[in-house]
This record gives sequence, structure tokens and C-alpha cells, in this order.
Amino acid sequence: MNSPMDREKAPELDAAGKNRCELDKNLDILRRVPAFSGIPIERLKLYAYLSNRMHFRAGDFVFRQGEQGDLGYVVICGKGQVIRELKDHSILLNEFGEGDFFGGLVLLSDTERLFSVRAKTDLECLTIDRETFQKLFLQFPEAALKMVSVMLKRIMQMEEKLLQAKAEDFMYG
Amino acid sequence: MIPQKPFFSWVLERYRGLQALLLVLILAAVFLRVFPLEMQKRIVNSAIAMRDLNALLLYCGLYLSAVVSAGLIKYVINLLQGFIGQKILLEMRAQIYNHILSLPLTFFRRTPPGMVIASLTSELSAIGEFMGGAIAVPVINILTLLSFAGYMAYLDPLLAVLSLSIYPVEIFIIPMLQKRFNRLNRDRIDVTRTMSNIIGEAISGMHEIQGNAGYELENQKLGRFSSKLFRIRLHMNNFKFLTKFTNNFFQSLGPFVLFIVGGYLTIQGRFDLGALVAFLSAYEKLYDPWKELMDYYQDYQDSKVRYRQIMDYFNVEPEFKRLPEEDRQPHHLAGNIDVKDLSFMADEQVRILDQVSLDLGAGEQLALVGLSGSGKSTLAMVIGQLYLYNSGHVQIDGLELKTLTRMDVSHNIGYVAQYPFIFDGTILENLLYACQSLNLNGLGRERPLPGRQGIFRILDGIGFSEDILVMGLNTLLSPERHPEFAAKLIAVRKSFFQRWGAELAESVDFFDVNRFQYYTSIAENIIFGHPNRKSYQCDELPANRRFREFLKEANLDEPLLHLGQELAVSTVDLLKGLEADDFFFKMSPISADDFDRYSEIVDRLTRFGRERLPREIEDALLGLALRFTPALHKMASLSLDLERRLLQARSLFMQSVSRKEPEAITFYQPEEYLYAHSVLENVIFGHLRTEHALTNEQIRQNVVDLLAEAALLDDVREVGLEFAVGSKGDRLSGGQKQKIAIARALLKEPNILILDEATASLDNTSQARIQHLLNSELKGRHTLIAVVHRLEMVRDFDVIAVMKAGRIVEMGKYEELMERKGLFYELAHGPGEGA
Repeated sequence: MNSPMDREKAPELDAAGKNRCELDKNLDILRRVPAFSGIPIERLKLYAYLSNRMHFRAGDFVFRQGEQGDLGYVVICGKGQVIRELKDHSILLNEFGEGDFFGGLVLLSDTERLFSVRAKTDLECLTIDRETFQKLFLQFPEAALKMVSVMLKRIMQMEEKLLQAKAEDFMYG
Repeated sequence: MIPQKPFFSWVLERYRGLQALLLVLILAAVFLRVFPLEMQKRIVNSAIAMRDLNALLLYCGLYLSAVVSAGLIKYVINLLQGFIGQKILLEMRAQIYNHILSLPLTFFRRTPPGMVIASLTSELSAIGEFMGGAIAVPVINILTLLSFAGYMAYLDPLLAVLSLSIYPVEIFIIPMLQKRFNRLNRDRIDVTRTMSNIIGEAISGMHEIQGNAGYELENQKLGRFSSKLFRIRLHMNNFKFLTKFTNNFFQSLGPFVLFIVGGYLTIQGRFDLGALVAFLSAYEKLYDPWKELMDYYQDYQDSKVRYRQIMDYFNVEPEFKRLPEEDRQPHHLAGNIDVKDLSFMADEQVRILDQVSLDLGAGEQLALVGLSGSGKSTLAMVIGQLYLYNSGHVQIDGLELKTLTRMDVSHNIGYVAQYPFIFDGTILENLLYACQSLNLNGLGRERPLPGRQGIFRILDGIGFSEDILVMGLNTLLSPERHPEFAAKLIAVRKSFFQRWGAELAESVDFFDVNRFQYYTSIAENIIFGHPNRKSYQCDELPANRRFREFLKEANLDEPLLHLGQELAVSTVDLLKGLEADDFFFKMSPISADDFDRYSEIVDRLTRFGRERLPREIEDALLGLALRFTPALHKMASLSLDLERRLLQARSLFMQSVSRKEPEAITFYQPEEYLYAHSVLENVIFGHLRTEHALTNEQIRQNVVDLLAEAALLDDVREVGLEFAVGSKGDRLSGGQKQKIAIARALLKEPNILILDEATASLDNTSQARIQHLLNSELKGRHTLIAVVHRLEMVRDFDVIAVMKAGRIVEMGKYEELMERKGLFYELAHGPGEGA
């Protein structure tokens, strides 16, 4: 069996020319996200340590409405679309990009996705799963509570937006 | 019942033969203890005084052999005692555990597990220790005391009476002192407990204390109890040392009496010197058995209290019989269920079921619906014989459920709880749990366990085949058990590579000898093979001399040591304080168990620098570096330069091992099965990169398709059944646990199946699938009672009972209930739209 593969992309170097480890890179990303920025740095390190990268190609669905997901996503680069799927058509609700945090509701409880998310361009995300989130929550409740309140505000805003859109179909039924 | 057994019955009713042997040995031992005293007397009187050398040798010889045999016999007695004690312990533990297992569920709801565990382990062990000597110790010591006393009386009655007269006084005084001491000790425990509560409270409310500067207030709170403890301690010391003093005083009073009276009598010529010597030895020897008796007394008190505590705790009557009194086969019930005026009270106050009546023919399907708290789950549990009902009747085929034994119920009823319990072990063991229990309860009538096809059919029906397949793909095969399967997988690997190899360069970290693998450890990257010798396993490498020399030659020892230091420092810094939860160590090169060791090493590194490390620290750091897996362990990174050098080292290592120890390593080659890697990794001959989730799904599907073409799917599923689920099924999702529990009940083929929201953790599709299976394919196979939360699932049931506040308020078919426009209609439509 011979190797059909190209060489890996060279790792990022920091100012001193030394490799930066993935944990530090993740930490930089999380620190720029409002939901996580309230968490003290030594706790945030654990989130960075326990989150994973994921790639999606343009057009891929990150998740579909109605699925039982358990991941929350932070966009590292690329653009995504929030889509509400209705019976015979779907509506583009929102777009997001670098530094945005989405899908976090399932971290709090085992719920279905309320909307679908599709990668508009190639999309790279950092993901955190429910079990990790809840373990960290129990371990350091104060830090996590700040994050939850930011998330709740986001959900409220989204709900507000949905209601304002006045589409009859969006009403809770 | 077990808990009412008197303490001593355990000792007296068991191992009578051994206990009799013990008594014989004790008699011999007692004789051998007294015998040397007589020899002493004769040595002084007959040998030394008469200057008879032969007699001296004879008596000394006898003395020695008596002492040695006494020691030997004592040794055998101790062994025997220990044996009896442990045997009794074994039996006690089994019987009490057996009793505990049959106690009502309500008992366990109010009992902390720690209490049961401590009772069965440490508490019981202490009792067992005592039980072994419960008869032997007092018998041997009382007999010894008596025979010494007897021997003394034989030498001189008057002297014996005088010197022994102190013992009755002691027997009277010491227990009195001890009693006071015990009372104080109990007080001490109470006060200490209160004190720890106060301290605990202060710690959890520290912000309040500091915010209000409540230092003095808290100090006073604690102070009250500290000074109380101080006083109790003083009193305790008083009694403790008073006991000691009394004991010593009376003990030394003895020789005083002996010397003065015995001396006087000897001077008067009414007593000989040899007798006096023997008398003195006898008196001194009295002390040991006396002390042992006192210790025994204390142990006895202690064990008795522990025993009573344990037994009182578990002194609860099981609600149902396990086996029938007469010798019979379990009832075979068709599954007609007749419930009349059934009521159930919790804690004798809250009425959870109230006059419930329903009638269900064999094979019919009943759905129980209602708001939470309406009693639907309780009704299911009562019919499953998990709770004992207070009034009314539940009859199955005309037999009152209360009077049926557990054996009957387990043969006929399958019950699936909402949060089913999964035991540590494999999936297969969990699936067969119900069937295996039946065989053990079935009075010798064994049913064959379901075979592979039967199990797969059920798993397929409930939609668990996919999960099992995935687990199978992630399993490691063993070279002993699966050599043929492994060979077939290599063929699949070839076709996989032909079809997909070129496309997957980006998504798979192939085992390519010319490339570095990010998903395997540094050690595996160097060795690039499977170690056949223990000395080449990752953990053994730091101690492997040849390997160390190789690292030095390849100039890798310094950089790896450095990497180890970096890893140790950053990992310890990251995970400090989280050792208690294994979860946080999933992606750490240091395991939770090793964490303390590496913490100490990091401590040392920061204090004394990184130069001239002791050998064992160097080994530990090197071991850490060798375990480092770049794609998994995010706390460090590998420089391009080191990566290149590791790759060079790989070919050097291959050459060097092939020359020196050719059979030590099986190198990774396309025609070699890698037993250290999963089935999936073997087929794709590499690691999936975790970040390409969607592509990975596709690759997995491709692999499954190829396996299906090669007719290997069932083999993969079979190894999937061996998946170890972890303690409490931790490695499974909630939905997987429910599916296993449902399969476990179905495999038993019960005539009555009770599902208590058994599909609540599943997604809609899986729920619908299982519901469909029950309502169509399995319809009529068993009488079904299902507690259902989602009303869209109840359409196909024969009867739906709607419950509210412990009563059935509506009952009928779906259409009937919808037409009635009552509670069911309201539940189905939501309160808002119904009106």
C-alpha cells in the first residue's frame, strides 16, 4: 500500500517560533466568545482542553431540526446559516460567522434542535458536548452560571426575533 | 428471619466437629501450660537440691518439650479459630446479603448505600474475627486460670486463697470503672460529631462569616463544645488510668502476700523453696489469661453492639416470598389481569393509588396515561410486584399477586423501568441477565439461553443493531479467540483501500510507514508495530535497556525527556484538584491514578530544577512522552523537527530490532492484523480524524457496506456484544440503556410485559419503531401494560386508561376517548386549543 497523501499542513508557530499547542489555540478562540469570556482563565482552560474541532464542507448540515444533538458549537472560521424547516419549505433565519456560538441549548438539557444549521462556506468549529459541559458545571458552578445566563439571554433574543417575524408557523403549537 | 437470630447461635450451631477438636486441643494446651510449673518445682527440689545431674537433664528436657509443644498447639488453635471465624463470616455475609436483596424497594429508598456496604464489609469482618474465638478464648483462659489456681491450691491451700483473693475484688471494681469510661466515650463521640458539624457549617458559610466579621461568634460556638470535650477527656483519662492503677496495684499485691506469707512459712520449714518458686511463676502466669479474658470481655461487648446494630437495621420483613414452601414448578400464567379496588399508600399517609379497577385479557395491550404524579408508574410497579398493595386485589389468572412468589413472577412478568439499571460487564451479559436469573431460580429446570440469531432478531426489532455494529467496529479482537475473523478482515481492508484509499487522504491518518501518525502514541510511532514481548509494551519501554540505548543513538532521549517535562507541567497544572473524576482524564496522558506521582515530580522540577534528575523520575517523564498522542493530548505540541526525527528513528528502529530481536515486534504491514487497534481501524488501516464528523460517518458506512458484502456483519455484531459497558453502563447513552433493558425483558419471553416509560430516552424514530413492533409483530405474544408519556404513541393500544390523582378517570379505545372530549382529549390537544 503506498501513500497517496500530501504532507500535513505545517503547524502554526507562535512569536518565539515555538509550536502552540491545541489547548492554547482553543483557549484564544473561547476567550473571544461572549458566552465564555466571563469564565476565569484557569477554568476556561478546562473547556479548551475538553472541546474538539470539527470541519464541515460548504453545504453540509451541521445538524437538523428535530434531532437529539448533544453538541454546542463555536465558529472558528467560515459562515453558517440558521434554517427553520417547515412542512414544504424552509426559512433562512440568521447567518453567523467567526466567534459565534450556536446550538448551545442542548448543553443544558436533552432537547431537540429547534432549527437546522448549514455550512454556507467551509466551516470549522470548536465543539463541546453535554456531558463535558455538565461535568464542568457541577465542578465549578459559579463560572458556568455566568455562561448559562449569557446563553439564556441569547435564547430570549432569538425567541423575540422569531416572534417578531410574525410568521404564524413560528407560534408554539 | 435472619435479623432475629441471636448472636451466639452463629457460633453454637456451626462447625461443631471443628469446635470439639478445638476444645480437645485447648485441654492439651492447658495441661502443657501447667506441667512446666511442676517441672520447675522438681528441678529446684529434686535435682538441684539433691545434686542429681540426670534428674536435672530429664526435668529440663521435659520442661523444654512441654513449652515447645504448648507453643505449637497454640499455633494450631489460632489457625483453627481463624478458620472457624472466617467460615462463620462467609455464611453470615451470604445470608444477610440474601436477606437484604429481598427487602422492599422502599427500604432502599431511605437507606444510604454506604450504610449497607459498611455493614456487610468492615462491620461484619470485625464480628467474624470475634466469632472465631468466641468459644475458644474464654474456655482456654478460664481453664488456664482454674488449673493454675488448682495447682497453687495443691501446693498450699492457704497461700492460694490469700493470693487469689484479689481477683474477685478486681472483677467487681474494673467493670465498674470501665462502664463509666464507656459512657464518657459515647459522650465524646456525640460532642465530636456536633463539633464537626459546626466546623462544616462555618466552612460552607465562610463568606457570611468573613463578610460580617463573625469570627468571635463562630469561635464561641465552637468554644462551648471544645471545653466540653476538654472536660470529658479529662474524666476519661481519670478512669483510664485509675483502671490501670487498680490493675497494677492488685497485681503487685499478689507477690507481696506471697513473699511475706510464703517466706514466713518457708523459714518456718512448713513450705519448701521449690514450691515457692513454682508458686511465684504460677502467680505471674495468671496475669496473661486474666488479661485475655478482660480483652475478650471488651471485644464481646463491642461485637454484640455492632451485631445488634446491623441486625436491627435490616430487621425488615421482605414483602414477597422468593420460593414457594412446597416443592413445585413455577406457575405458568396466561396473562389475564384483573385489578379490583386496588389502593396503595406510600408511608401510610399518601394515597397514590385509589380504588383502581381494570380487567385485561391475555394478550391485550393497555396504555396508562396521565400527568406526572397521577399514579400510572406506581400502578405498573404494583402489577410488576415491586410494591406491595395495601387493599384491593390484583389477580393474574385468578391467583392473587400478593401470594405469588418471586419465582412465579419472574417467570411470567417482564418489567422495564424508566431508568433501567445496566450492570458492569458486557452487553451480552446484560442482555442475558433475566434469562440467566430464571435458570438459577427455576428449581433445576433450565431453559436454553437464546442463541446468536435469537438475540440479533430482537436487537434488530428494537433498532439496536446499528449500535451493536458500531460497538463491534470499535472492539479490539484477541489473537487467541478471533484469528480467522481477523484474516477475513484483512481481505476487506484490501478492497477498502482499492475503492476508497485515494479519496480519503484528508480524512484518515493511515498507517503509512513513511508518515507520522498523529492518532497514535509517540512509542507506537517509533515502534510502528505490535510488541510480542512485554518489554516492548509502551509502559515497559523506559525500563527496556535496549530501547533506551536506541533512543540515545537516535538522539531522541533529550528531546523526549523535555517533552515529558512539558506534558507533566501543563497536565498537572490543568487537572489539579480534579483527580476524583476519571472523566477529566479521558484526554490526558496522565491517568487519574498516576496523577499524585506526577504532581510530586512537577513539584520537584519547580523546586530543584530540571537538571540531574533521579533515574525513576527520568523514567516516569520518558514514559509520559512515549504515551503522548498528538491528536488527543492538546496540552502540548510536537515540533516539526522532532516529528521528522521520530520518523527517521522508525526505520532505524526497524533495522535494529530486525537484527537483534527479530521476533519482538510484528511491524504494521498491509497484510498484518493489528490486534491493538479496533476492527474499524483495521479495515481502513488507519485512524479516523475526529474533526471530520460527516466524512467519518460516510467512511463508517462504506466499511459497513464492504463488511456486508463479505457477509461479516453478524461477526462484527457478535464482537459488539462483548462490548464492556462500564460501571452502571456509563459507556452507553441513555437510549442505549433503555434498548438493552427492553431487549433483556423480551429475550425472557414473558407472558406479561410491563413497560414503565421504557422508551422515554429514545428519539422519536426509535420510539415509534419499538411501539410498532409491540403493537403489530409482537401483538398477542404477551399481555402488555405500558406507561406512555407521548400520547401520539397510544393510538394502537386495545385499551387506554387515563389516570388522575391515583384514579382511573377514563378508559377506552383511542377513538372513544377522543370522542368523549374528556381529560384524554384535553391531554392530547393541550389545554389551550381544546376549548
